[in-house]
Amino acid sequence: MNKKLLALVLVLAVPAFAGAAQYGKMTLDSKIESMKKAGVGPVIYPHDKHELLFKCNECHPKVFKEKRGLNDMSMKMNMDGKFCGSENCHNSPNAFPLYICTNCHTNVGVKK
Amino acid sequence: MKASSFRKLKAALLCSLVVAFGYTVSGSVADAAQAQPSKAPAKKEAPAPKIDPNDPASLIYLDTAGKPAGVGGNAAAPASQAFKVGMGWHPQALAATGLPKDKYGLVDWAKLVRENIIKPKHSLDPEEEEMPPLKMDVLIPAKGTFVNDVIYPHEMHTYWLKCEVCHPQIFVPAKGSNPMTMVGIVQGEWCGRCHGKIAFPLTDCNRCHSAPKKAAAK
Repeated sequence: MNKKLLALVLVLAVPAFAGAAQYGKMTLDSKIESMKKAGVGPVIYPHDKHELLFKCNECHPKVFKEKRGLNDMSMKMNMDGKFCGSENCHNSPNAFPLYICTNCHTNVGVKK
Repeated sequence: MKASSFRKLKAALLCSLVVAFGYTVSGSVADAAQAQPSKAPAKKEAPAPKIDPNDPASLIYLDTAGKPAGVGGNAAAPASQAFKVGMGWHPQALAATGLPKDKYGLVDWAKLVRENIIKPKHSLDPEEEEMPPLKMDVLIPAKGTFVNDVIYPHEMHTYWLKCEVCHPQIFVPAKGSNPMTMVGIVQGEWCGRCHGKIAFPLTDCNRCHSAPKKAAAK
């Protein structure tokens, strides 16, 4: 009886945790040339931190498509209220504002 | 052993029942006593006084400590420092003026000027000549490929400020010789000397980054 329960828990829980862990920290650097010009490094996006705060369907698929490379993000898009800068997100009092570069970008101010 | 513990439990239950009963009885009595007098002042408060800033009788004057002192039109009321000078504004009265606000609820001083809502004197000294605003927009290219360029309007800034406020200490008056960065601005350099403090905040990205780049326009 106990063994069966353990097996069931393992079957259900392991893939769920593995799925989440896969996106722990995501490096966003598709616009690296532009980032270099602007004097900032790639963004390390903490998916795990956001998992604790929101349900999957609050961002997916409305704000972000669930496939790497399909979201053509840029600071302009964020500033226009899309992606990270969506309503209720980093363009609102609910989260830190977009102008705090160092919260998302690495190597801010480092010369090439 | 079992019987004694059962007896203890029974006693505890009884005690809690008595306490709960007593609480409900006394609570309802106290509530009833409080409810009756609270009804009367609620009716009095209902007609909220309307504040019309153009009506001198409805101005509330503040003393130097920011407390209400004296009411316009009432000679018996104690006159505040602001009243002696001529005018004092109350926050509530300021809200009732209908000054234009930006999306953050802050007074939009640029819109005030553009729509000729206020016409402040340029100086307390009547003999001092006013310098007309400098009509010169400066295009400041954003460093990244995607972010909109900035159009800096001299006109709005020189309406409020003298040239010497910014030049040459904060900005070298030559195009391209100011190594501005958003990181520096956030830390209070360049535009960040005023914006985010007394001028509109940096959260309003597109108010400055307003000229789309060709690459981004696609």
